[in-house]
Amino acid sequence: MTLRWLGLLVFCVVAVAPFAYVVSASFKATQSLFSFPPEWIPSDPTLGNYERLIGDLPFVRWTLNTLFVAGTVAVLKVAFDSMAGYAFSKLRFAGRRPVFGLMLATVMIPPAVLIIPLFFLVRDAGLLDTYWALILPPLANPIGIFMMRGFIDALPDDLDKAARIDGCGPFRTYWHVVLPLVRPGLVVVGVYAFLIQYTNFVWPLVATSSEDLYVLTTGLARLKPNFTAPDWGLISAGSVAAMVPITVVFLLLQRQFVAASLAGALKG
Amino acid sequence: MARVRVDDVLMRYPGAERPALDGVSLDIADEEFFVLLGPSGCGKSTLLKLIAGLEHPEAGRLRLDDELVNYVSPSRRNVAMVFQNYALYPQMSVLDNIAFPLRMRRVKRAERERSACEVAASLGLEPLLARSVSQLSGGQRQRVAVARALVRRPRVLLMDEPLSNLDALLRVEMREELMRVHRESRTTVVYVTHDQVEATTMADRIGVMSEGRLEQVGAPDQIYGRPANRFVAGFVGSPPMSFVEGRGEDGVFLADGVRVALNGRATAGPLVLGVRPDAVRLTDPAGADGVGEVHLLESLGGDTVVVVRVGEQLLRALVRRGQTPPEGSTVGLALDAAELHLFDESGATLP
Repeated sequence: MTLRWLGLLVFCVVAVAPFAYVVSASFKATQSLFSFPPEWIPSDPTLGNYERLIGDLPFVRWTLNTLFVAGTVAVLKVAFDSMAGYAFSKLRFAGRRPVFGLMLATVMIPPAVLIIPLFFLVRDAGLLDTYWALILPPLANPIGIFMMRGFIDALPDDLDKAARIDGCGPFRTYWHVVLPLVRPGLVVVGVYAFLIQYTNFVWPLVATSSEDLYVLTTGLARLKPNFTAPDWGLISAGSVAAMVPITVVFLLLQRQFVAASLAGALKG
Repeated sequence: MARVRVDDVLMRYPGAERPALDGVSLDIADEEFFVLLGPSGCGKSTLLKLIAGLEHPEAGRLRLDDELVNYVSPSRRNVAMVFQNYALYPQMSVLDNIAFPLRMRRVKRAERERSACEVAASLGLEPLLARSVSQLSGGQRQRVAVARALVRRPRVLLMDEPLSNLDALLRVEMREELMRVHRESRTTVVYVTHDQVEATTMADRIGVMSEGRLEQVGAPDQIYGRPANRFVAGFVGSPPMSFVEGRGEDGVFLADGVRVALNGRATAGPLVLGVRPDAVRLTDPAGADGVGEVHLLESLGGDTVVVVRVGEQLLRALVRRGQTPPEGSTVGLALDAAELHLFDESGATLP
């Protein structure tokens, strides 16, 4: 028993220590970062790093860009994926299974392979270095459709049939009957898409170059200069500040999130 | 409020070997209460879905009044359906559930709520209107489902085993309720069940189905008294009819342990004799129509089914409580000559 506690403690320290160190570093002047032994609680805490982040750098702009891109992607994905998921789950049409299989197969392609073709595609469409370049490509990810189909599969078929007989076409069945019943699923798909976009680094780096379009990930990366010594205090402050919005989003939606993971368990 | 005509319909589910409906023809009169009766998998629910428009026939014609509706979508047929598991919309209140079909027809809110309240009142649902359907009992949900079906005055009301999820007492109560609803609304009803008591108590006419075919259509009395074949005879009636395989000879039915005069009916050759338990009396073995040994006693409460082994075959007799012979004893059987059914080897009824 004690051994198990001890083990947990070790893992806990291993997991939390780097994070704590970054938080601590963000409140230190860069010179005091390299004192030995390292100070966990800064003896001379300063908000200077945060001031420079918000005052000297367009950190707020990066944050707004990120929220705009991730939010738009999340909303559009929820709309598209729930419709596609409904079609794959309840509607009968020729080629339903092969199309769904083909779509799922694209998940097996490593994202790195897609970067270059996607770059050419977006360039040829004339969308390079625009918000469209950040918003459109992530919409083509089929994971959300797969998840939505799972949620909609759990609804009884008779509900769908009852709606048809009561006078709904496919769209009104989806809108009036299916959507309200898969609300937890919509939250899951939305939060998931938001999170992926929030932390996405490589694609924004490739697709945008003007400073106005920097998101948090690309912005933070530029804080580390190529040839001079990096300002670790500033980078730490940026990392900590970047975590705030996503934490708030998660806390706001936490109850829905838990409800979603329990929904399947409790339904008779 | 419509006549339903099904004309030589063929329907096959994708990948299925045997058609789910194989040449079914049916003419259901306006305002009739028609029951489709059969064992599970016989195609009765498929026929119902066909009338609803949820499935489409491969061949044949389907008409509501004089309108051909083979490819008319469910929402344009103005038929209503009550599902076995009720299929209420869980996110809506009772009132919203009942009013939903009107809302989809773009009826104004005030008007649709007035209609919904009216129907709800006739089913005793008024105190529940504001509740969520998840708070209702099985019987209440059933009433809401019926109300939702009736609110738009459908041409045909379809019911797919609506009572099978209710307990026995509630089922009797709902049965009477549904008959009242039918009397008052004068809607044509097509009702699917595997429960013959539901069928015989509620139906104007019954259609007995088996393996995608309609075996017999007729009034309950006709189905019970003059079954068209051995399947119908065996399926309808509880406790079920007993069958004895034997042969006819000089106007007499003969089998091991059985010898019954047929009063000039039927002919020579192999025969199957069918007799319902209430047409069999226990008597003295001497001079009886059949002699056998009591094999099993099944008490039904007031009556007891005495299963008698006659030769290698079993015959059931219905006996009042307290008059049952002990198991293993030898008894004589007297068969009511007017209640004997004869079938040929293929199962068709002989005159």
